[in-house]
Amino acid sequence: MRSAFGKDIARSIKGSLGRFVAIMGIVALGCGFYAGLRMCGPDMRADADRLYDGTNLWDVRLISTLGFSDDDLRRVSAVEGVRQVMPSRTFDAMAHLGSEQVAVRVSSIEPELAEESTAEGDYVVSSPNDAYLNRPRLVSGRWPRERGECVVSADAPEAFCKTGDTIELLYGSTDIDELIAVRKLQVVGMVSSSNYPYTGSFGSTTLGSGIIDDYLFVAPESFDEDAPYTEIYLTVEGTSDELSESDAYQEVVGATKGRLEGFEAELSSARQADLKAAAQETLDEKWAEYDDEKAKADDELADAKAELDEAATKIADGEAELADGEAEYANGVAEFEAERASVLAKLDDAQGEIDENQRTLDAKRSEWEQGRGKLLSELGATSISDAKDKLSAQQGELDKTKEELTGQRDGLAAQKEGLEAQLAQVQEQIGQLDQLLGAFAQRAELEATAEALNAQIKALEEAGDEEAAAALAEQLAQVQAGIEQLDGVIAASGMDEATATAAREQAAAGVAQLEGGIEQIDAGIAQIDDGLAQIEEGRAKLEEGRTGIKQLEDGKAQIDDGQRQLDSARSQLAGARATAERELANGQAQLDDASAKLNDARTELADARDKYAEGLAEYENGVAEADEKFGDALAQLKDAQREIDEIERPDIYALDRTQSEGAATYHADAGRMDNIARVFPMIFFLVAALVSLTTMTRMVEDDRVQIGTYKALGYGTAAIAAKYLVYAGIAGVVGATFGIAVLTQVLPYIVMSAYSIIYTVPIHAFPIPVDAGIALSAGGLGVGVTMLATWGAVVQSLREVPATLMLPRAPAAGKRILLERITPIWSRLSFIWKVTCRNIFRYKRRFLMTVIGIAGCTALLLVGFGLHDSIWDIIDRQYGPIIHFDTTVGLDGDAIELDVRRACDYLEGTGEVSDIVRVQNENLQAGTATSNETTRVNVVVPRSAAEMSTAITFKNRLSGEELAFDDDAVLITEKLSMKYGVGVGDKILIFDQDDVGNAVGDGHALTVTGVAENYVGNLVYVGRNAWASVDSSVPVFSTIYASTTADDAIRTSIAGDLHDLEGVSTVIFSDETINTYRNMLSVVDMIVVVLIVSAAALAYIVLYNLTNINIGERIREIASLKVLGFTRGEVYVYIFREIALLAVMGDALGMVLGIFLERFVVTTAEVDYVMFGRSIHPASFVYAFVLTLLFTGMVLLSMRHKLDKVDMVESLKSVD
Amino acid sequence: MAFVEFRDVRKIYHMGDVEVRAVDGMNFDIEQGELVVIVGPSGAGKTTVLNMLGGMDAPTSGTISLDGQAISSFGERELTQYRRHSIGFVFQFYNLVQNLTALENVELASQICRDPLPAERMLEQVGLYGRRDNFPSQLSGGEQQRVAIARALAKNPKLLLCDEPTGALDYVTGKQVLKLLQDTCRTMGKTVAIVTHNSAFTKIADRVIEVREGRASRVLTNPNPKDAMTVEW
Repeated sequence: MRSAFGKDIARSIKGSLGRFVAIMGIVALGCGFYAGLRMCGPDMRADADRLYDGTNLWDVRLISTLGFSDDDLRRVSAVEGVRQVMPSRTFDAMAHLGSEQVAVRVSSIEPELAEESTAEGDYVVSSPNDAYLNRPRLVSGRWPRERGECVVSADAPEAFCKTGDTIELLYGSTDIDELIAVRKLQVVGMVSSSNYPYTGSFGSTTLGSGIIDDYLFVAPESFDEDAPYTEIYLTVEGTSDELSESDAYQEVVGATKGRLEGFEAELSSARQADLKAAAQETLDEKWAEYDDEKAKADDELADAKAELDEAATKIADGEAELADGEAEYANGVAEFEAERASVLAKLDDAQGEIDENQRTLDAKRSEWEQGRGKLLSELGATSISDAKDKLSAQQGELDKTKEELTGQRDGLAAQKEGLEAQLAQVQEQIGQLDQLLGAFAQRAELEATAEALNAQIKALEEAGDEEAAAALAEQLAQVQAGIEQLDGVIAASGMDEATATAAREQAAAGVAQLEGGIEQIDAGIAQIDDGLAQIEEGRAKLEEGRTGIKQLEDGKAQIDDGQRQLDSARSQLAGARATAERELANGQAQLDDASAKLNDARTELADARDKYAEGLAEYENGVAEADEKFGDALAQLKDAQREIDEIERPDIYALDRTQSEGAATYHADAGRMDNIARVFPMIFFLVAALVSLTTMTRMVEDDRVQIGTYKALGYGTAAIAAKYLVYAGIAGVVGATFGIAVLTQVLPYIVMSAYSIIYTVPIHAFPIPVDAGIALSAGGLGVGVTMLATWGAVVQSLREVPATLMLPRAPAAGKRILLERITPIWSRLSFIWKVTCRNIFRYKRRFLMTVIGIAGCTALLLVGFGLHDSIWDIIDRQYGPIIHFDTTVGLDGDAIELDVRRACDYLEGTGEVSDIVRVQNENLQAGTATSNETTRVNVVVPRSAAEMSTAITFKNRLSGEELAFDDDAVLITEKLSMKYGVGVGDKILIFDQDDVGNAVGDGHALTVTGVAENYVGNLVYVGRNAWASVDSSVPVFSTIYASTTADDAIRTSIAGDLHDLEGVSTVIFSDETINTYRNMLSVVDMIVVVLIVSAAALAYIVLYNLTNINIGERIREIASLKVLGFTRGEVYVYIFREIALLAVMGDALGMVLGIFLERFVVTTAEVDYVMFGRSIHPASFVYAFVLTLLFTGMVLLSMRHKLDKVDMVESLKSVD
Repeated sequence: MAFVEFRDVRKIYHMGDVEVRAVDGMNFDIEQGELVVIVGPSGAGKTTVLNMLGGMDAPTSGTISLDGQAISSFGERELTQYRRHSIGFVFQFYNLVQNLTALENVELASQICRDPLPAERMLEQVGLYGRRDNFPSQLSGGEQQRVAIARALAKNPKLLLCDEPTGALDYVTGKQVLKLLQDTCRTMGKTVAIVTHNSAFTKIADRVIEVREGRASRVLTNPNPKDAMTVEW
C-alpha cells in the first residue's frame, strides 16, 4: 500500500509539475526572502565582529580632557577585566589635502608594531604583540617610520590624496602645537582601519563641517615628545568569544566599563596630581630662572653705573691734563727761541776760523813752488816725475853692470872649483897606486918569509922536531894566507907592478898642470872685485838726488793735506748749519703738533662729556625697563602659579563601541535590516499561503473521483489527506531548502555589497554562514503555511460522502454579480466583458491570491522606486527648493569682524558670487527635558533675519505654508521635531558639547516657533534676539552663505583665494556635498534592483499559477470556445482578460499597500542625520504600475502555448 | 458533387508503438439538407469522423470536402474559420459556459460569426426564451442541451454536428432534443449529422451511415424517415 501510495504521489507530482513548481517557487521565494533578509543583519554583525576581532579592535576607550600619562596606563591596566591596553595620541585638525581643506583625525601609530603586523586577507591583521590594538591594514605603500611621515585612509569616499602627496595640518580644535611637532606630513601609504568602518563620516568634530573627512596615522616621532596620550584603548577579557555589540558582549564589556567608571575618580585625581606636580616643577624652574635673570640684570645695571662714574672721573682728569699741557706749550715756545739764537752765533764763529787758516796755507804753497824749481834745474828735469825717471834710469844702468860683473866672478869661481876637484881626484889616485905598490912589496917579503919557514920546517922535520915543525907549519899557513890575500888585491887592480908604477908617474904630472890653472883663475877674480867697488860709488850719488825729490814731495803732501783739512772743516760747518736749521724746524713742528693735540684733547673732552650724559640717560631708562619687565614676569609667574593651583580634575570618559560613530552606525544599519526583514517577507508568506491554497484546492477537485474511490475502497480521511499534505510538504520542503540555500547567500551578499559603498567591513566569502535557527524558522514557516493551506483545501472535500465525490462536481454556479445591478454600466459591456467580470468574482481564493500577489509585486516595486525617490529627494529637495546657497565659507573660531568682512568683500569683488548672507554656525547638541538622549545639531544664527530668505526657504512640509523668520524665531528641522516630538510652542534644549560629542551642562531652553522642511542634517535656526538668551555675547557671524554660477575652475580659484585670507577655514561648494550623498545613497539603488527582481519573481509565480489553474479548470470551456470557432487570439483574450483585470486590480491595491510599506521602510532605513523624502513621485507610481502590467503581460505571453495546447477532442470527450 | 464527401479518409493515431487506425478508408457522401445519422458501436470511429468533419481534427490521409471546400487540406487557421462560420456543434455534455446565462451562451456563438441568427429567436425556437436569463446550473439537462443547440444554430452553420446529443438525457428529454434537431433540419433546411450508438435513431434519418472498424460499412438512404417523436427505444 505504501508503495502504491508513494507511486501515486510521484505520479501526481510528475503529472502536475507546473503546480508542484508553483508551490515550490512561492515557498522558495517566501522562505528564501525571509531567511535571506533575516540573515542580512546577523551576517553584517558577524562580518563586523570578524573584522573587529581580526584587527584586535578596542572594547573600551578612555578619554581624558587632560590626557593620560604612562602612570595612568599602568593604573588602567591593573583594573580587573582589562586584557590589553594601548595608549594613543589623537587629535582633530583642519588640513590641506590635495586641493581640499578638510577635517582629519590624526592618531599615533607605533612603527615597530605596525611593521611586524601582517594583513591576512582583508579582515585579519595578525601581530606577535597582543597589546597592538586597532591594527590598521596596509593597503598600499609602507608604514610611517620617521617624523613627518603618515599613512592616510584608503577608504575615504573622496580620494583627497595619494602616496607621495604632502598634507599640511592647519589648525586644530585646540592648540595642536602642544601635540604635533611637524605641520607638513608626507603620505607614504594607505591604510584601512577597523576603527573607522563608516566612510560617510569617520567621526564628529567641532571643526569644519563637523564631520571627519579623513584619518591619518603618524609615527610618534611626529608628536611633541611631551604630548600626553589623549586616549587609552583597551580590550576586555572574554569579549573575543562574543559577537560584537551583542547583549552578551555588552554585558562583558559593561562590567569592565563599569569598573573603569568606578575607577574614574581615582584616575582623574591621580592625573590631576601628576599634572600639578609636573607643572609645578616647570614653574619652579621658571622661578629660579626669574631670580637668576633678575640678579643678572641688577648686576648689569650696577656695572653700567660704575662705568658711568668712572667716565665722569676720567673727564675731570682730562680737564686737568689739558691745563698742564697748555702751560707746557707756552714754556716750550720760549725755550725754542733762545736755543735758535745761540746756535746761529756758534756757526758764524766757525766760519771766521776757517777763512784764517786758508790764508796761512796759501803762503806755504808759494814757498814750496820755489824749492821745486831749484831742484829741477839741478837735475835737469822738467818736472819731478821726469827727475824721478832719470834717476831710475841711472840706477838701472848701475845695477846691470853690477850684475854682469857678479856673473863673471861666479863663472870664475866655478872654474876654480872644477879644477880643485880634479886635483883631489888625482891625488887620491896616487894614494891608491901607492898602496898597490906597497902590496907588491909586502908579498915579496912574505914569500921570502915562507921560503924561510919552509926551509926551517924541513929542517926541523928533518931534525925531527916534529913539534916545532908543526908550530912552524902553522906560521907558514898564516903567511901563505897573507900571500893569498895580497894576491887577491893585486888581481882586483888588474895591474901588474909595472903598470902601477907608470900610472904613478902620470898622476904626478897631472897634479902639476892643475895647480897652474888655479892660479890664473884667482887673478881674474881680483879684477872683477875692483869693477864692483866703482859701481857702489855711483849708487851713493843717486841716493842724494832721490832724497831731494822726496823732500819736495813731502812738502806738497803737507800743503794738500792742509787744504783738505780746511775743505773738510768748511763742509762740516755747512752740515752743522743744515742740521741746526732742521732741528729748529723740528722744534717748531713739535710745538705746532702740541698745539694741535691740545685742540684735539679739548674736542675729545667735550665728546666724552656728551657721551657721559647719554650713558646716564640710558642707564636711567634701563633701570625703568628692568623694573617693568621683571614686574610683568613676576605677575606672569604668579598667574602660572594660580593656574597650576587651579588645575581641575580632568573629565575621564569610558566609551564602548556603541559610542563609536562608525561601529554604532554600522550596528544600527544591521538593526535596520532586521526591521525590514520583519515586514517584507510577510507578503511572500501570505502569497505562499494563497498560492498553496488555490493550487491544492484545484488539485483536490481534480482528484474528486479518485478521493471518492479511495474512500469507497476504505481509506481513512487521514490517509487520503496525507497524500496532499505530503505532496505540498515535498514541494514546500524542496522549495524552502532551495530558496533558503540560494537567497541566504544572494540577499546578504547584495545588501552587504550595497553597504560596502559606505562601510569598509569586508564581506564574508561564499558560502556565507547561515543561522540554523533562522533557516529552520523560515523553512518551518513556509512549509507550515503551505501545509495549513493544503489541509484547508483537502478537509472540505473529505467531508463529503464517497457517493457525491464519485459524481462530477457541479460546476460552480454562475452568479449574478453586483455590477449587473448597475444596469447602465452592465448593459454597455460586451458579453465577453460580462463573462470576464463574472469570472473574476466567481473564484474568491483565486481572486485573493492574484490580487494580493500582484499587489505585493506592485508594492515591492513602489517601495523600490519610492525609496529611490525619497533618497534622491534628499538632494533634489534640499538643494534648490530649500537651500538656495551653494557656497559656504567658514571662518575659524577666533576670526574677527574684519576677517569676515574681508572675505565678504572678496566674494562681492569677484562678480561671480551673489546673495551673500552671514550667519553664526555652532555645532551643538539638542534634546528635550524629558528625553535623556541628545542629537548633534547645527545651530544657525543669521546676522540679519530678513536676509535669510535669500539663502534658505523655511516651509512647513505638511501644511505647505512658508514660515516667517525674524529675530525672535526658533525654527527646528522636521526630523528633529519628529524625533523628540517637539512642535510649535514646545521647548527644545540646546546643550554645549564636549570633545567627545557628549552634551554638557543643563542646556538652554528655546521655544520652537516653527518646524521647517529639511532633509540633510539637523538644524536649529535661531533669531538674534532668541539666541541672546543662550549666549549673551554678540556672535561674529563667521559663516558666509553665497550663491555662484561659476564653473569649476573659477570655484577652485575662488576657494584658493579665500583660503589665503586670514581666518578662512572652510570653503564648501554644495556640489561636493551632493556628490558625497549620491555616493552614500547609491546603496539604495542596489536595494531597488533587488526589490524589482523579487517583485518580478513574485508576479511570475502568482500569475503563472493562476493562469495554470485557470486553464486547467476551464479546459472544457476553452475547448468549447475553440470548437465554436474562436480564433487563438480570441481565446487568449477570453481567458487572459480576466487575469489582466485581476492584475490591474492587484496593481491598484499594490499602490496603496506600497505607500504604507514605503513609508515604513523609509522611516526604518533613515539615519539620524538625514530625513528621506516623504513623497513618492507620480512617475514612480506609473513605473510600478506599468512594470507590474509588463510582468503580467510577459507571464501571459509565456502561457499562450498552454492555451494552444488545449485539445478540443480530448477535452470534450469525457466528463472529468 | 455531393454536399459532403469523404474519400478514402484515414485517421491513424500513434500511441507509443501501437498504431491505432481510428478511421481506415472511410468513404461516404451527404447531400445538403439531409438529416444524417452516423451509427456504430463504441470505438468504431464515428466520433473521429464527426471531429474531422467538424474541423476539430485533420485526417491522416484522404480528402474531406464540404460544399466544394477541401477541408482536409486546411491549415489550423482555416480550420478555425471553418468551425466558426460553417459548423455548429452539439455535444453529449452540452459544454455550456457555466458563467453565462442561456442567452449569453447563445450570444457567445452569434457574436463571432459573419451572419448570425438572432440569439433571442434561437432561444425562442428551442422554447427557452422564458429561461434566457438562467444560468446553465439552473437549467435541466434537456434545457441545457437545447441551449447548446440554439447556440450551434445561432451561428447559422452550413452543417450541424451532434455527438450523442441525447446521451446524458433521459428518454423523454432525449426525444424532445431529437425532435428539435429533426425540426431544425426540416424547417431551416440545415444539414444535420448525428453521431450515435443508438440504431433506433436511424429511423428518423434521411441517410444512415453505418460505421464499423473505421469504415463506412453501409450507407443507406431512408426514403420515409419517421418523426422523432414516434421513435421508440
